[in-house]
Amino acid sequence: MKKLLSVLLAAIMMVSLLAVPALAEDQVLTVVTWDATTTPYLTAQKEAFEASHPGVKIEYIDVASQDYGIKATTMLEGKDKSDVYMIKEIDDLIKWQAQGFTAPLADYIAADNYDLSGFVGTEVNYAVDGVQYAIPFRSDFWVLFYNKDLFDAAGVEYPTNDMTWDQYAELAKKLTNKENNIYGTHYHTWLSAVANWAVCDGVNTLADKEYSDLLYFYKLYQDLEDSGACMSYADVKAAGLHYSAAFANGNVAMLPMGYWYVSTLIGYNKDGTCNFNWGITAVPHADGVKAGSSFGNLTGAMINTNSEQKDLAWEYISWLGGAEGAKATASVGARPAWVSEDVAGAMASVEGFPTDEGSKEALIPSFVAMEWPVAEKVADIKTIVNEEHTMIMAREITPEEGIEEMNERVAELFE
Amino acid sequence: MKEAKAEKKRYKMGKMGRKNTLVAYSFLAPNFLGFAIFTLVPVIFAIALSLFEWNGGDIAKLKFVGLDNYATIFATKKVAEKGIGYFFNRADLGIALKNTVYYTVITVPLTIVCALALAVLLNKIRGAVVFRTIFFFPYVSSMVAICVCWSFMLMKDGPINQIIMALGIDFNKSWTADSSMAIWSIILVSVWRNMGYYMVLYLAALQGIPKELMEAATVDGAGKWQQFRNVTLPQLKPTTFFVSVMMVISCFKIYDVVAIMTDGGPGRATKMLVTYIYDEAFVKVRYGQASAISMVLLVIVLLVTIIQFGSEKKFSND
Repeated sequence: MKKLLSVLLAAIMMVSLLAVPALAEDQVLTVVTWDATTTPYLTAQKEAFEASHPGVKIEYIDVASQDYGIKATTMLEGKDKSDVYMIKEIDDLIKWQAQGFTAPLADYIAADNYDLSGFVGTEVNYAVDGVQYAIPFRSDFWVLFYNKDLFDAAGVEYPTNDMTWDQYAELAKKLTNKENNIYGTHYHTWLSAVANWAVCDGVNTLADKEYSDLLYFYKLYQDLEDSGACMSYADVKAAGLHYSAAFANGNVAMLPMGYWYVSTLIGYNKDGTCNFNWGITAVPHADGVKAGSSFGNLTGAMINTNSEQKDLAWEYISWLGGAEGAKATASVGARPAWVSEDVAGAMASVEGFPTDEGSKEALIPSFVAMEWPVAEKVADIKTIVNEEHTMIMAREITPEEGIEEMNERVAELFE
Repeated sequence: MKEAKAEKKRYKMGKMGRKNTLVAYSFLAPNFLGFAIFTLVPVIFAIALSLFEWNGGDIAKLKFVGLDNYATIFATKKVAEKGIGYFFNRADLGIALKNTVYYTVITVPLTIVCALALAVLLNKIRGAVVFRTIFFFPYVSSMVAICVCWSFMLMKDGPINQIIMALGIDFNKSWTADSSMAIWSIILVSVWRNMGYYMVLYLAALQGIPKELMEAATVDGAGKWQQFRNVTLPQLKPTTFFVSVMMVISCFKIYDVVAIMTDGGPGRATKMLVTYIYDEAFVKVRYGQASAISMVLLVIVLLVTIIQFGSEKKFSND
């Protein structure tokens, strides 16, 4: 018996040894990203790339999204050899470039004659001193989600793509029904959900050291909170309520949120997490700002300087950002950075995407500003503006006081 | 001749002694090696790093800046211009320092009082084992789970506020989102979590008090309170000393509760020294400044501990 067992064990060991070279035939490209298991476009991209590149396998290294910047930085500082890093925030790339972790792409772009025109200028956010360090593959801008069923029940017409912020506030109050616990709108706790709208005019930025342009939006928010048209900041914060759950609960009529939420909602509709009808419109606009203006963020990919297969990594990121990758990204409802008729068509034809004309129109914004610009000391400015934001939102200080603090503290940074 | 013999004997002893020492060292070596690699070297590295500017990238880009990092965190220029008030009211380090000291000064005595009270209550009552386990339980629970549960309990309409309102006090604000209450929610969770652990230490000490002392006190006609005041408390001095030293050190290093419950907010109301270090090092990748702040923390903890050990005599039993 013992003998038989040892023979068997030896046989298993032999077989497993044989299996290793068999697996090694595939080239494995490691890609560091966040929430790989719950983000549909990552699965779609992996499948499409592997199908068009036989013999290459993509392996995601998954990091929790809220820790991504810090965890990825720590990995890079530890001389990690993963081939590709995805970029969540533009200033992470700027930071990594300064630290020497990003391989310059100029030679690859020149050698391949790689076409950047489809990125309509957004790619410059990933360039430092004129040298490209990453390729964008997703460009999310903010839109307004609304629950069609709640509008129907209240007998109110759906919001339109040319609504102003004042009209929006009025609509939110109209839809609020305290008896049935229905809120006209919902604000997530972020600065971007409440006051970032000031940058939609293309003139103001959050790094311009002058913040009086945020005042209008804080006042608008506080008015809505006072009237009970949205949940209070203190409660949302203390409960750690995620915007996706807040809207999916079905008692929130409107939600300003990034475009990425479309794919989440389509997924929710499929798995039954929520079953109401919804649509999107452009975010409201302030007086004097063109309708359809929004702000957004870029998601991209870069090659790690420590990668041992940089050519393959380039093959992957150039595919990811280009027309082919864009189709894969759009196939699950995410918005690729590459803009073309094909891509827009692919986005609107995704199963589960709202079929009304308004939602389709909202796919093409008239202008997209960057949520945070690339600027000197932007990480410090971010901390200050966010700290004062929490104080204003918690009503510790008035919006006027908060804005004065922002102005003063940011000015001190540059003294 | 005699001398030579004695010399030989001493030599023999020395050989033995050396052998013993070697054995002792070989037992200590693995532990010391771990300490050296994971504590000593990083500490020395951090001391050096506090004099450099470094973004964590290429080590060749290390730039010597002398005491500039310290000047930046202490905002020396601004303080010279606007006075010391600027440091405590506006500079990140000043605010973090103020918050950490406030937290420590409240948390340490509060935890000691609660732990001692629990220990005395649970020393001899029926079913003490059950209660001891219950009170010790938070200490072995996951910090994240504890903080998330408390965040819910401390919400605007949460159970804690409901109880307070039921008592007729008008109190309707979210603890963690209010800048004057946020630090108290941190204190509350810390005390609640740690008192079970220190209770166990006190329980052990209580068991060690000789019965004769209590009996003698009873014979002398001392009441319960007098027994506690004049026999129990003095007997517990060494434990109290140990607990207070450990607690002060751990309070200065507070990080987890803050990171989970308030993230330093609202505004800078719960920004602590360690959250500030974390922010500088890992969010803004300024390792030099982060190391400088760590040195400030090191010096403070060292000073406090020296003062405490200086007053150790007061805490000893005789």
